[in-house]
Amino acid sequence: MPSMDEYCVQLKQAVVDYNRDQAVAIAQTIVDQGLDAQKAVFDGLIAGMQVVGKYYEDQYYFVPEMLMCAQALYSALDILKPHMPQTDLGLKGQVVMGVVQGDVHDIGKNIVKLMFEVAGFEVKDLGRDVPLDDFVREQLSSDADMVCLSAMMTTTMTGMREVIRKIKEKNPKCRIMIGGAPVTEELASKWGADGYAPDANNALREAIAMVSSLHEMYQQAQARD
Amino acid sequence: MSRDELTSLERVAMALQYKKPDRVPVAPLVCAASSRVLGIGIDEWSKDAELAVKSLLQAQEIIGMDAFVTLVDLSVEAGDWGQEVVYPRDSTAYTNTANPVIKEVEDYYHLEKINPRETPRMKHVIDMVRGLSAAKGQEVAIVGFVYGPLGVLSQLRGHERLFMDCLAHPDAVATAEEVITQVLVEYAQAQVEAGAHSICLDTLYSSGSIMSKALWEKLEGPFAKRVADAIRDTGAILTLHNCGNDIYFDVQEKWLHPVGISHAYPADDCQKDWAKHAAKWGKKIVTIGYSVPSNTGLLMSEDEIMEDCRQQIETFKDCDGGFILATGCEFPPNGSLISAMAMVKAAKTYGRYV
Repeated sequence: MPSMDEYCVQLKQAVVDYNRDQAVAIAQTIVDQGLDAQKAVFDGLIAGMQVVGKYYEDQYYFVPEMLMCAQALYSALDILKPHMPQTDLGLKGQVVMGVVQGDVHDIGKNIVKLMFEVAGFEVKDLGRDVPLDDFVREQLSSDADMVCLSAMMTTTMTGMREVIRKIKEKNPKCRIMIGGAPVTEELASKWGADGYAPDANNALREAIAMVSSLHEMYQQAQARD
Repeated sequence: MSRDELTSLERVAMALQYKKPDRVPVAPLVCAASSRVLGIGIDEWSKDAELAVKSLLQAQEIIGMDAFVTLVDLSVEAGDWGQEVVYPRDSTAYTNTANPVIKEVEDYYHLEKINPRETPRMKHVIDMVRGLSAAKGQEVAIVGFVYGPLGVLSQLRGHERLFMDCLAHPDAVATAEEVITQVLVEYAQAQVEAGAHSICLDTLYSSGSIMSKALWEKLEGPFAKRVADAIRDTGAILTLHNCGNDIYFDVQEKWLHPVGISHAYPADDCQKDWAKHAAKWGKKIVTIGYSVPSNTGLLMSEDEIMEDCRQQIETFKDCDGGFILATGCEFPPNGSLISAMAMVKAAKTYGRYV
C-alpha cells in the first residue's frame, strides 16, 4: 500500500496531467483509509496546481489545460474537503468576487476563485451579471478582506469605479482587485483599485503568488505544531 | 496640417499594399459607438441595418475615419444558429452561454448548415455593408467582419466548456467547425458581393492568452484557412483581427497569409515590444493598431491621445507606408467620440509621408 507521501505525489501528478478520474480515485482512497485529507489538499492538490501555474507561466500550458487541471482539482477537493480540519493560518481570508452587471465573461474570475478556494479562503462568488450594489452590500455585511471585480466590456467596466468608491468610503482597508481585458493599469489607479489583472493569465499569477505564500504559512504552522 | 490628396479608400488600399499614401490612414474602429450620433440604443443599432448604416455614415462625416468596419458584436453568427442573445440598450449584445445551443458533447454532431443571406443577424451585417457601399463605397474603405470558426463555436458552447472540449473531445469540436466553416465562407462571400473591399476575420484564440499554437493549428488553422482562401478568391483583401495578448503572427501567417492584422499587442515573438514588432513584422503584415481602446475612449485627453498616436506613427514610420492607425479593438461604445476625432487629427498632423 502506498504511503501518504506517495499518495500526495500521485494526486499532484493527476492534477498536472488533468486526469480527473485518477484524482478522484486517489482522493477517495485517502478518505476511505482515514488518511490526512488536509495534507492531501496541500501537498497533493495545491502542489499540483503550483506546477500547473509554473507551466502556465512558461506558456507550456494555456487556458484549456488550466481549466482541465482545475476540473481534476475540484473533483478531488469535493471528496477531501469534508474531511479537512480547519487550520488557523492567522488570516480571516474572506473574498467577495463576481462579474459586474451586464457582463457574463467569467473564465478569469473562475480561475482566480479556484485558487482562492484551494488556498483556504472563504469565497463568496456572486456569479456573473452582478448588480453593482450587491458587491458593496456583500462586502459591508461580511467585512471581507478583498473584493475582486471582473468585466470584459468597456460598457460594463465603468460600473467598477462606483463600487470601489462606495466600498472604500466605508472600509478603506478592504483591498479591491479589478480585472478583465479592457481594464488598464491607468484606469485601475485612477479609480482607486489596489490591483488589476488584464487577463486570466495575470490574475492567475497574482493568485498563485498568494497561494504559494499561504502554503509556506501552512508549513510553518505545521512545524510549530 | 496639409490637405489630404487621396480618398480614404485610396489611402487604405495603398497602405495595405505597402505603397506610401499621402498620410497614415486612420480607423478608430468606431462601430456601436456610432449609435450615439443618432441617439439610438445599441440594441436597436445591432438589429436595424438601416439605422446602423445611417449612424455609421454620420459618424464618419463627423470623425473622418478612413474605414468602416462592420463589427456588430461577437454574438452575430451564433445568434443565427439559435443561440440566445441578450441585447442591453446601452451595451454590446452578448450570448447567454448559461443556456448554450451545444449543451452536451453529442450536440456538436448535430449542428446544421444555415443560410447567412437569410438569417436575421448575418443578413443584418450584409445589409449594413450594402448600405455603406451604396453611400460611400467609392470613397471610404469598407471592411466586413466574420468571427472565426472556433470563436463562433465558443459562443454556441460557452468558452470554458469549449476550451476543455478542445482537449477532451477534439473530433466533436472539429465536426461542428466543419459546418460552421461552410457557413462562414458563404457569409464572407455575401459581404464582398454587397460591397466590402476587405473582410476582417477574427481569430481571437490564436494568442498566448488563450491556447497553444499547436492546439490552434489543429483546431482552427485549417478551418480559418478555408474562409481566408474563399475571401481571397473573391478578390477582396484578407485582414485579421485579434486583440489577444501574445498574438501568434507566425502561425497565422503560415495558415492564412493576411495582408494586415488589427491587433492590440505585439506578436508573441517580440517580447511585448512594439519597436521589435515593427522591425520583425512591420514590412510583412500591415499593423492596424494599436491605441488602447479604454484609455483612448474613456481616460485620455485630446493632447494625450495625440501624443500617444504620434508615438505609434513614429514606431511604424519605416514600414514603407504599411501602417494603419487604429484602436487595438473596438472603440468603446461608451467612449468619447471626441477621442476618435483626436486620433484622426493625430494622423493628419503627424502621419504625413514625404
